[in-house]
Amino acid sequence: MEYRLRLAKRMLFNKKGSLIGAVLAVTIGILVIHVNFVIFQGLFDAIVRDISNYRNGDVLITDEEDYIDKSDQALVNWFERIPYVEAATPRLSSTASINMTKFGTLHEETRIPIVGVDPLRDIRASTVHETVSEGQYVFSRNSIVLGSNVARDLGGAQVGDSLKVKIIDRYGQDQIKRLVVTGIAKSPGGQGFDYSVVVHIDTLRDLMNRDGDTGSIMVKLNDPSKASDVKNFFLAAFPNDDFIAETIEESAEEQLAGFRSGIAMINMIGYFGMMSSAFAIVTIQMMLVNGKTREIGVMRSIGATRKDILIIFIFQGMIIGAIGAGVGTAAGLGYTFYAKETKMSFNNSLPLEVSYNWEKIIQTAVLSFILAIIASLYPSYRATKLLPVEAMRTV
Amino acid sequence: MSKIYGTDENKVKALDNVSFSINKGEFVLIVGSSGSGKSTLLNMIGLLDRPTNGKVFIDETDTTNLTDDKISSFRNKKLGFIFQFSNLLTDLTVLENVLLPREIAGTSDSAEKNAIELLKAVGLDDQINKRANKISGGQAQRVAIARGLINNPSIVLADEPTGNLDSVTSEKIIQLMKLMAKKLNQTFIVVTHDRQHFGDVDRIITIKDGKAFEGNLPSEMGVLA
Ligand SMILES: Nc1ncnc2c1ncn2[C@@H]1O[C@H](COP(=O)(O)OP(=O)(O)OP(=O)(O)O)[C@@H](O)[C@H]1O
Ligand SMILES: [Mg+2]
Repeated sequence: MEYRLRLAKRMLFNKKGSLIGAVLAVTIGILVIHVNFVIFQGLFDAIVRDISNYRNGDVLITDEEDYIDKSDQALVNWFERIPYVEAATPRLSSTASINMTKFGTLHEETRIPIVGVDPLRDIRASTVHETVSEGQYVFSRNSIVLGSNVARDLGGAQVGDSLKVKIIDRYGQDQIKRLVVTGIAKSPGGQGFDYSVVVHIDTLRDLMNRDGDTGSIMVKLNDPSKASDVKNFFLAAFPNDDFIAETIEESAEEQLAGFRSGIAMINMIGYFGMMSSAFAIVTIQMMLVNGKTREIGVMRSIGATRKDILIIFIFQGMIIGAIGAGVGTAAGLGYTFYAKETKMSFNNSLPLEVSYNWEKIIQTAVLSFILAIIASLYPSYRATKLLPVEAMRTV
Repeated sequence: MSKIYGTDENKVKALDNVSFSINKGEFVLIVGSSGSGKSTLLNMIGLLDRPTNGKVFIDETDTTNLTDDKISSFRNKKLGFIFQFSNLLTDLTVLENVLLPREIAGTSDSAEKNAIELLKAVGLDDQINKRANKISGGQAQRVAIARGLINNPSIVLADEPTGNLDSVTSEKIIQLMKLMAKKLNQTFIVVTHDRQHFGDVDRIITIKDGKAFEGNLPSEMGVLA
């Protein structure tokens, strides 16, 4: 083995405490980044996942005119002929006032978001029906599913209760209909219809006086990476309508913009953590260099050049960086694996969407390796400044 | 040459116009009281430090204007060092310590064979794979002698090589140095407080207050200038 590499390795491995300290510094720096990624990117992806599954699909079609007046049947059929498309479903939304008498008390709630769904298609394109914890999803024209928060605000509405829904139609007239509660919806993390109510789309059309109108078409793909293709294909197929087609990234952008900058900040904090592990390496290596003053003098006196000394200590930085990057990445992957297998959740509710971002994992490992080398530059440089006469010093 | 340490008020004239030459194969002792400038002199000859005035010639090369890298190469190939304390790199084995000057030189052909021969000559061939911090002080000085000889240097320099050893061990180390010098026709320059143990040597230089004198007794000292 190259004698400088051997010396670097021996010096380091004979000082176990320093080695462990330096490696741990790198390891912790990397681990922090992995943990941050699992939690915050996992949370972000979980929210995107839920928005996509419950509300926006992979591609969301709306109209510049607020309502789509083309036949929903025709549009859904058009989509479902594309092989990438799993299912498509129409939805319509508005706001409603709801009142209900429970145990002799009248409860009234206003400005409740109300969503109209096509029961048969909706369960294929969205998983929101899975959030119905009691009873079942909308199945008939006079059934209503209450979000758990709405049910609570209505004095504890239960499956089987009957209530009145009031909507202001397109002409400004109040339209009232009596519906029966068939289910209560509660989603982990509250991204589902917890604050809304769900009815049959034709019921809502009647109440709004919008026969045949649709608010949006939610399109679920079997290959989400094809979202842009499907979107462009759709826009090209209907050039003369004022349709808006958005991928999930686009349709959820507004909800996610703040979160995105939050993640950027958390990442910054992670990189600061890495920087401080670099300072730990500088300190530990300075100690190593100071402890080897005399031996460096001996090396110089038997002919080692400044460059040789520099290389020995940079090799140490490389060894620290390599082991630290390896151990840190392994620990980070271990944590990620654990989070994924246990379906770790945020605040015990929203299950994180844990993924392995190999590009970022490798980038983090390489970065901390390079940082360890950079950190070793100063101590290495200091080592080259030690004079060969040091070897002669009698004490 | 001269060597002045420090500046202005706390100036120390450690060497004062010292001038002499040493021939190949000579075994030279440098003696003198503590603080007289012996180590300083050895540092200059060993190119570990530069004189304030004057020049050091080794093998007819003026070393005054050599670059740091050139000086390193000079130390590596032309000089061998034996110090008083902890000469060895404790992270390496005995054999690796002896091999190190060769590895620094980058000429490792038959290095291991030569190293083992030298270790045999200093009587340590049974310790070659021991770590250097696991051997005695006397053994360490033997390793240093072997290491000092591995690159076939022009001069071996030793600063109180026995200063740290008991008298029996000192005696052995001294005899070993004299033996190796004779066997290899090797120049040795040794700083010592231990004049008696060396017995007959080719030459003695006495340092007194930074000045050098030939011989070791005041009566027989001739001024070297
Ligand atoms: N780096 C230095 N800075 C300032 N003064 C020094 C330095 N090195 C040596 N001196 C001084 O130079 C003089 C000669 O020192 P030197 O070490 O050469 O003596 P020595 O003969 O080797 O002594 P000893 O036998 O105690 O080893 C002393 O007065 C010492 O204090
Ligand atoms: Mg001295």
